Amino acid sequence: MDDAASSAVRRGAATIVMDGAGKARGGRAQNRVVMAMAVMFGIYAALGGRLVHLAMQEEPEASVPAARVTASRPDLVDRNGEVLATDIKTASLFAEPRRIVDIDEAIEKLSTVLPDLNYQQTYRRLDSDAGFVWLRRQLSPRQQADILALGVPGLGFRTEKRRFYPGGATASHILGLVNIDNKGIAGIEKFVDDQGLADLQATGLAVEGHLEPVKLSVDLRVQHIIRDELVQALERYKAIAAGAVVLKANTGEVVGMASVPDYDPNNPVNALDKDRLNRMSAGVFEMGSTFKIFTTAMALDSGLVSLDDSFDATRPIRIGGFTINDFHGKRRVLSVPEIFIYSSNIGTAKMADVVGIEGHRAFLDKIGLLGRMSTELPEVAHPTEPKEWKKINSITISYGHGVATTPLQTAMAAAAMLNGGKLIPPTFLPRSEVEANEIAEQVISPNTSAQMRYLFRLNSEKGSGRRAEVDGYYVGGKTGTAEKVVDGRYSNSVRFNAFIAGFPADDPEYVVLVFVDEPKPEREGIGATAGLNAAPMVRNIIRRSAPLLGVKPEFGQESDALLVSQQ
Amino acid sequence: MFRTSDVVLITVMLAAAAFTYKTKHDAEAKYEELRKIERQAELEEDSIDILKADWSLLTQPARLQRLAETYKDELGLEPVEAPRIAEFSDLPKKPLTIEGLVNDMADAGSVPDQTTTGAVRP
Repeated sequence: MDDAASSAVRRGAATIVMDGAGKARGGRAQNRVVMAMAVMFGIYAALGGRLVHLAMQEEPEASVPAARVTASRPDLVDRNGEVLATDIKTASLFAEPRRIVDIDEAIEKLSTVLPDLNYQQTYRRLDSDAGFVWLRRQLSPRQQADILALGVPGLGFRTEKRRFYPGGATASHILGLVNIDNKGIAGIEKFVDDQGLADLQATGLAVEGHLEPVKLSVDLRVQHIIRDELVQALERYKAIAAGAVVLKANTGEVVGMASVPDYDPNNPVNALDKDRLNRMSAGVFEMGSTFKIFTTAMALDSGLVSLDDSFDATRPIRIGGFTINDFHGKRRVLSVPEIFIYSSNIGTAKMADVVGIEGHRAFLDKIGLLGRMSTELPEVAHPTEPKEWKKINSITISYGHGVATTPLQTAMAAAAMLNGGKLIPPTFLPRSEVEANEIAEQVISPNTSAQMRYLFRLNSEKGSGRRAEVDGYYVGGKTGTAEKVVDGRYSNSVRFNAFIAGFPADDPEYVVLVFVDEPKPEREGIGATAGLNAAPMVRNIIRRSAPLLGVKPEFGQESDALLVSQQ
Repeated sequence: MFRTSDVVLITVMLAAAAFTYKTKHDAEAKYEELRKIERQAELEEDSIDILKADWSLLTQPARLQRLAETYKDELGLEPVEAPRIAEFSDLPKKPLTIEGLVNDMADAGSVPDQTTTGAVRP
């Protein structure tokens, strides 16, 4: 019992001891295991977390840095959809020398795409410590793709947008210019910006692909013909400038307009030269005898003068120390049509006199010749007129001296004289006849307009406009040879010649105005009047462009029919 | 040891994991493909822009005029003058005669119409 008890006690004690020792040792070991496990678990958790983190992350984009943001612009197209101005994307190649592994290999690969790469220069650039060097500007997309395909590390592209004008100088004054940030600074480009494109760009909404092309009323082919003729004329007549516009008579759409000298919008180094301004809308000139169109229309429309009336042009008018004379005076009584076709200053002055000074000014104001013309182009000059209209002013203005207007404005007024009396502001955007009639202002009666058509046609058949005649297109026109003011006096050797024509004259679809500034005689012995230089230019423009404009030629018409029909 | 349900569940879990992995992998592959196509489309769009500009450069009236003048003699080119432009309605009508009508009918009868159209089986 004692033995059993003691052994039980011993056993119990041993158990207890063993338990205690085991517990004591096991407790410490367990702590270590837990700690080791915690550390291991921590490491694996970190690794796992990192893996998850990496897996969650998007793949980094290709290492092309963000492109320089240049504003997107809509294409400009002509009335037939031909491109006049477009944005092209060019890529510029740069390198990050620090990231290039093998310079020799990089250059060798690059020169397979860019054969004219200068090896030594490029090596020097890539060998430097710089973080960024330009290698080549303005690559084509094809070259860019080829270089990307080479897989050389450390090369990248920045894309830039550039405005490109395929026609070069052809329509320069209409299209205008953009600056280095692709913002319009002149012409239609500026107009497009002012229409809200600038705001769109500022808010980042002008994303490529969202911009519809802007369609203009211009016909590229006619535009080219006009400019081609002007450039030739400038050379032929050694003039300092020339300009022309073809206007749709019933809508006021400008089909073509040019003024030379001009500039190349792709390289506008000389665009801001004073000599190269857009004389058609931003230059003002005394239009000379072409103004007799308006004086005659005014007299006829007032009802005080009819086509059958006659005025005495025997003697010059003397007023306030001035003498108003005719260049090729007939020295006899002239009927109204004769005054028009012989371009008599005396007769025209007397017609203006019938209407009176106030009426004269009011009429010119009504047909938009004294106010600033409203059109899309930002470059529009304000016409000049005398501060106070006296009788002498009215007389000289009747034949085109004393009021200086822009040629485009004059063409607009002339169109109103021919299209039935509707004054329609010229536009460079397409406009339908219905829209035109909504904004048109009736300035003379349709009957007066018909009489003016007759006079125009008569002048082309018998008067100074004979050299503008084109077979089949039935041109009617009026010359204007103005003397320019040199040192405060009118000079009789320095001239500004103009010709205004409408065709076909029985119901003009198009109005053409051409001017030549300071033309010299084409050859010795002949003059340099508008009939000899401006009229042939109009003829050439009409001859070349009328078939393109779809004007159907007609033969065998008599101008007498015009007169009969309107009387 | 393992009960059947455990085995089933483990298998299901492994399958689900494998499926998820594969789906993600496929999606990434598709994204990569999409990016590639987008890059390609962008490149093509840019090329179209360039080609359009190129086309209008090549069809500039100024250039065509220069070419026409250069090859005028070779190709016998001449500007169209107004008297050459006419419409069908401007042409004088061919006078009708009995002989002409008879001949027309005879011509029409002798040779079968060779024209084939897509609408009718020849």
